[in-house]
Amino acid sequence: MSASKLSPSLAALMGAAAALTSAAHAQTAAEGGTTVGYRFNEYGEDSFDGAAIGSRERYKVYSQQFQLDTRLPNNAGLDVTATHEVMSGSSPWYVLRGADARPVQVLSGATIREHRNELRGSYTIDPGTASSTTYSASYSQERDYRAGALGIERSIPLNAALTLGTGASLSHDIIQPTDAALYDRVRHEEKNTFSAFGSLAWVIDKNSVLQAGVQLNHEDGYLSDPYKLVSVGSDILPDHRPGTRSNAAVLLRYRHAFAHPDAALHLDYRYAQDSWGVVSHTVDVGWYQRLGQGWQLIPALRYYSQQEARFYAPFFGVDEHRFFSSDYRLGTFGAFAASLNVRKRIARWEFSGGIERYHAAADYALGSADSAVPGVLSYTRGFVGLDYHFD
Amino acid sequence: MNANSRSFRFSAMGCPCEVKLEGADDDVLQRAAKAARDEVERLDRKYSHYRDDSLVAQLAACADAGGDMHVDDETANLLDFSASLFEQSAARFDITAGPLTKLWDLQSARVPEQQRIDAALAHCGWQRVRWNRPHLHFSTTGMRLDLGGVVKEYAADRAAEKCREARVSHGVVDLGGDLAVIGAHIDGAPWLAGIKTPHDPARPLATIELQRGGLATSGDYERAMIVDGRRYSHIIDPRSGWPVQSFASVSVLAENCLVAGAAATLAMLFGVEEGAAWLARLGLPHLCVDTQGNVNGTLA
Amino acid sequence: MGTNRAFFAVITLGVLLAGCASTPVQPWERGRLARWDMRWDPDPLQAAANEHAHFSKEGSGGHIGAAGGGCGCN
Repeated sequence: MSASKLSPSLAALMGAAAALTSAAHAQTAAEGGTTVGYRFNEYGEDSFDGAAIGSRERYKVYSQQFQLDTRLPNNAGLDVTATHEVMSGSSPWYVLRGADARPVQVLSGATIREHRNELRGSYTIDPGTASSTTYSASYSQERDYRAGALGIERSIPLNAALTLGTGASLSHDIIQPTDAALYDRVRHEEKNTFSAFGSLAWVIDKNSVLQAGVQLNHEDGYLSDPYKLVSVGSDILPDHRPGTRSNAAVLLRYRHAFAHPDAALHLDYRYAQDSWGVVSHTVDVGWYQRLGQGWQLIPALRYYSQQEARFYAPFFGVDEHRFFSSDYRLGTFGAFAASLNVRKRIARWEFSGGIERYHAAADYALGSADSAVPGVLSYTRGFVGLDYHFD
Repeated sequence: MNANSRSFRFSAMGCPCEVKLEGADDDVLQRAAKAARDEVERLDRKYSHYRDDSLVAQLAACADAGGDMHVDDETANLLDFSASLFEQSAARFDITAGPLTKLWDLQSARVPEQQRIDAALAHCGWQRVRWNRPHLHFSTTGMRLDLGGVVKEYAADRAAEKCREARVSHGVVDLGGDLAVIGAHIDGAPWLAGIKTPHDPARPLATIELQRGGLATSGDYERAMIVDGRRYSHIIDPRSGWPVQSFASVSVLAENCLVAGAAATLAMLFGVEEGAAWLARLGLPHLCVDTQGNVNGTLA
Repeated sequence: MGTNRAFFAVITLGVLLAGCASTPVQPWERGRLARWDMRWDPDPLQAAANEHAHFSKEGSGGHIGAAGGGCGCN
């Protein structure tokens, strides 16, 4: 090439290319960048309504979450989340058979503030692709409870439209109830959980996707609630549940994008049943609406219905019962929840916030409610969040 | 001098790639080749693979839905370069011309109706994009953004740079015919590049000597369509929506592969007459072959 | 709804979907699907918080994905 003066057009081309060809071009190998996020969540249950003994002020939880999500060289990703929760308030303890066989809920005294810490990490190879592998681990700790878990998930593309997902996880939990001697509770118990899932995701057309999945769970060990008691005849005995629990669930998720209201519809349905006799249905509907200027509005509705465990009742007669529990969470009830979330993006910052209102009642269940479920609750939950995207 | 001469082959960007290196230390050559390959694969993944959250997928979503996006520095540099080429080619080089090229591609052996061309035109046009680094805004829906036209040559230059950073000074990167020289052979001899003859790939049309810089070739002979005896190239003029009567191939030698590639592409877009004149004014060594097989240019 | 009816519904849905002929979605048409609001979990932190709240107050929890450890939520 001659060393003569550059033609104007050549000078223009070379000038335009300059930024791309400079030797000092510093480009990190990380693709997709790094995001850090913070969330503050508040959860507050409504005061207990109905016949009760004890503090009516139920549970309140404040929690903070910090997340780091980053790309690593060699096409890998790391996601670490740390959570700190502070919990206080009373909770259902046992149910007494009151006058006219009506249940009277006895609540525990308001507890001192409890703290819970959790750390979760996951390492993904080929993140964001149809064939990725994720290794995850988590550990959580509170005064009376510790749990650790390990998991693996793999995504395998079957063809251009179908992706297979599989995964398995193992966790080990240890409970050492507080005031064990004082209330004659178990001192130290453990449980193991094994879980596996399989899913198929289908790209139906350029605006819709569907995912169908199956999950199997098996728990083994101490599955009762050491803080709960049950009224059996004239005795008050500790909550006694089987030592194993197997659970199968089927999940369907549908996502559809709309062009004219610039929005997306989310529809989820989950059916689950387990070896304790609990059968549940969950329906979630969400609408993700873009409002322009970086705003998103997301209203959502959730309906949940469950059928009681075979050994659930608010209180029991004197007959022989192998297992018994009056924990409302094993009763027949339904719940409606409505939520509204808002998001706003400004340059590299993303603000989010939302509120959820949840009501559960025995009457809301599909099918008939045989027993009362005192203790079923309503709550309000809110959060604010901030994310920052590095390049 | 006891020197190794190694050739590393791999597949990326839809074409066969080769990195030829020379040096005394084989380990250094291996590391350099790996760095070069990783860089090409990184760019391939970043700019051509549609994955759930990849940049290209986000760009496609933004272009299709008509929206805003904030891009990283590297993408911003590529967009700036593309914007400059748009101006220099008087709107013939247009990275948003996807809907038009797709229309002509799908029409094998048939000329599309003017109505469909007009419909595709409504969704093309860099003038419909507001680019204020680092913000990209699409004012129409249904658009496409394709940086594939500049990324291959950019990748060749980047791969060559990675080799230099790995302390290799003799070699050449060949990405499917787009070449970026790291440095001449150890003994000072230039690398030899053969330009393929259209319709007769076995017989090289010309052999070009490369001491430094880059060589890029833009070709059309493999993808033209013949309907009723008339030849329609796959080089579409985004202003009219119709193919350009162009060369069968243009090869340009420049200081780097990116400039060489841009020049070759612009010459193809200008068409046979304007292109030849533009290349002559440009002042870079070049070779043009027209559809009749006539060879012109300073390297002929 | 009993077990049988639930599974019947799932199988029927599967058959119906399998019967829908669909032209494959080209890579350049996947842009809309890649948008944030079309993900299975657009906000994973929020999804995790939601599941935690629901799971600890209901009888059957879990989601498609590796299960984490439990908690002493009361």
